[in-house]
Amino acid sequence: MTREYTSLLGRLTRREIRSRFIGSASGWIWLVLNPLLLLAVYSFVFGVIFQARVPPGLEMPFVAWLAVALWPWLMFSEGVLRGAQTIREHAALISKVAMPREMLVLASVTAVFVLHLVGYAAVILVLAAIGVDLNWLGFPRMLLALATLYVLAVGLALGMSAIQVYVRDLEQALPTVFMFWFFLTPILYAPSLLPPGYAGWLDWNPMTWWMTEIRSALLHDHAVPGWAALALLGGSLAMLWLGRVIFRRLSPYFEDFL
Amino acid sequence: MSEPLLQLQGVSKRYPPTVRAGERMRAFWQLLWRGQAQGGTSVLEDVSFDIIPGESLGIIGSNGAGKSTLLKVITGVLEPTKGQIEKRGSVAALLELGAGFDPEYTGLDNLRMNAAFLGLSRKQVEERLDDILAFADIGDSINEPVKHYSSGMVVRLGFAVVASVRPDLLITDEVLAVGDESFQKKCIRWIEGYLADGGTMMMVSHNMYQVQKLCRHALWIEEGRVARYGDVFDVTQSYLAWHERKHARQDGVAHGRNENAPYRIDSLSLDPADGESTVVAMGGRLDVRLELSAPDDRPPVAVVGIVRADGTPVYGVGTDHDGIEPVEIAPGRYAIDIAFTDLPLLPGGYAARAHALDSEGLRMHDTVEQTFTVTGKTREVGLVRLQHEWRRP
Repeated sequence: MTREYTSLLGRLTRREIRSRFIGSASGWIWLVLNPLLLLAVYSFVFGVIFQARVPPGLEMPFVAWLAVALWPWLMFSEGVLRGAQTIREHAALISKVAMPREMLVLASVTAVFVLHLVGYAAVILVLAAIGVDLNWLGFPRMLLALATLYVLAVGLALGMSAIQVYVRDLEQALPTVFMFWFFLTPILYAPSLLPPGYAGWLDWNPMTWWMTEIRSALLHDHAVPGWAALALLGGSLAMLWLGRVIFRRLSPYFEDFL
Repeated sequence: MSEPLLQLQGVSKRYPPTVRAGERMRAFWQLLWRGQAQGGTSVLEDVSFDIIPGESLGIIGSNGAGKSTLLKVITGVLEPTKGQIEKRGSVAALLELGAGFDPEYTGLDNLRMNAAFLGLSRKQVEERLDDILAFADIGDSINEPVKHYSSGMVVRLGFAVVASVRPDLLITDEVLAVGDESFQKKCIRWIEGYLADGGTMMMVSHNMYQVQKLCRHALWIEEGRVARYGDVFDVTQSYLAWHERKHARQDGVAHGRNENAPYRIDSLSLDPADGESTVVAMGGRLDVRLELSAPDDRPPVAVVGIVRADGTPVYGVGTDHDGIEPVEIAPGRYAIDIAFTDLPLLPGGYAARAHALDSEGLRMHDTVEQTFTVTGKTREVGLVRLQHEWRRP
């Protein structure tokens, strides 16, 4: 059974990825070109216009500091947003074919992570090429953080996609919520830049933990994961469990409400 | 007796109210906390049956009776509100035209995807690919997006994939009707072979001939309930009879009743009598007793005949044609019996119809009908069996 599921998941994920490029002439080139263009835009806006500074103690262009955390956020937010849409998007399939439905959500989140991982890799290579000093030893720690981020995204997407079938308002609300979440997470700014009273509040936002984890792995020379990594793992597994419980509860009745 | 492949016990399905946002929210909380929503419209009520390996079951019923919902519940697309479903073995279903096909992708992509939905591994698909393509027989269109396909081509591809899986239980929902003559024949041949090899099948169809040809048992669903379940001939025949009667009621054929007429029918009874539903086996005997009233001491003329349930006359005969007179049983009251032996009527719904005429047999005063059903196992078509013999020239 598990092998059938993995084969189905593989097919669905590949189809999801292909669907982004179907019909576009140079297809796969955009996979690398888009992130690099985005990187160029950010480095122009923050490097030239705002002349933003990295936190004290680091020697690198601001855009490098930003990019290292921005792509994980893109994976996470796009993964959850797309994943949450999946069930509604595949209404025709769900109401006519008996299949493990969580595979659709899983495939959608996986596809987003794969696509952005390629972009992330391209961005990191470019950063290294322009001479940014990255801590290569911290790579495994960064990948571990991304893996827990993926688990978290799957959990959230499962729960949201199931709830969205019943509560359509979520479709309107989620993008705004994620925009808000983006600005509440220290991605464009360092926590140390906030007024002293506010910086402490950021720790209540789990995303702060992930961003800190990834930045300390790649930018500060901390190659060994600490207790924080364990907390991330525990938190993401808890979210996955909750998302699955909600999905399992609601999924038998999807067809009634789609 | 082997273990049933599929067992349904008291399966009911209600669709919860979903139109207003408030209702959706209430259903959402109820499902989340209790796993059950209240209210809604009932589509299936207390359906129970077993399917043993090697069986072939036809599901019939009017539009909106709940046939497709039943199949969805069985395949697992829908969860029953109440009741138990037990499956032992693999199930493959072709529920709807193009179900699971994404119009943007080519036929080949969709074929692979659908095979994965049915649980085939990548290797199995590649092994069977040639067979599937040969069965579907849609040529180079396989590399075209499905949105350019005709509905017949979609069905060809869908059926070819399902056929390649060779499931323990095959379920089809009125999809074969779309394919052209030669593809239908191919499908039917395949199904016959599959059944002969011990396969088990459930099919929804409005084509009674096809159901009788392919299925041994039938389940008739009406308004979400099992109206009848059993031998395919019994069930399809009573289903058709029911339809003819419904049709006749709508046309208002049962006119002509006139209780104040001078010559009238007091009662029309059938033997074998069984309340409302007289049942006669084909080739059996039907006894009709008629009691009439007349205003004077001259016996009335009675005409007795048989019409099909939709009102088409089959045969009629009057007492005056045969030189018979009803017998006086009380002052002004008469009775007469007529027996139809070796009844050559083909299975279906019929009615005995009687008219009371004046003593001269000139004017029809009163009409009464009593329905009955003829049963039998035959695939002959029409109203009556005509004497015939085949001969080699």
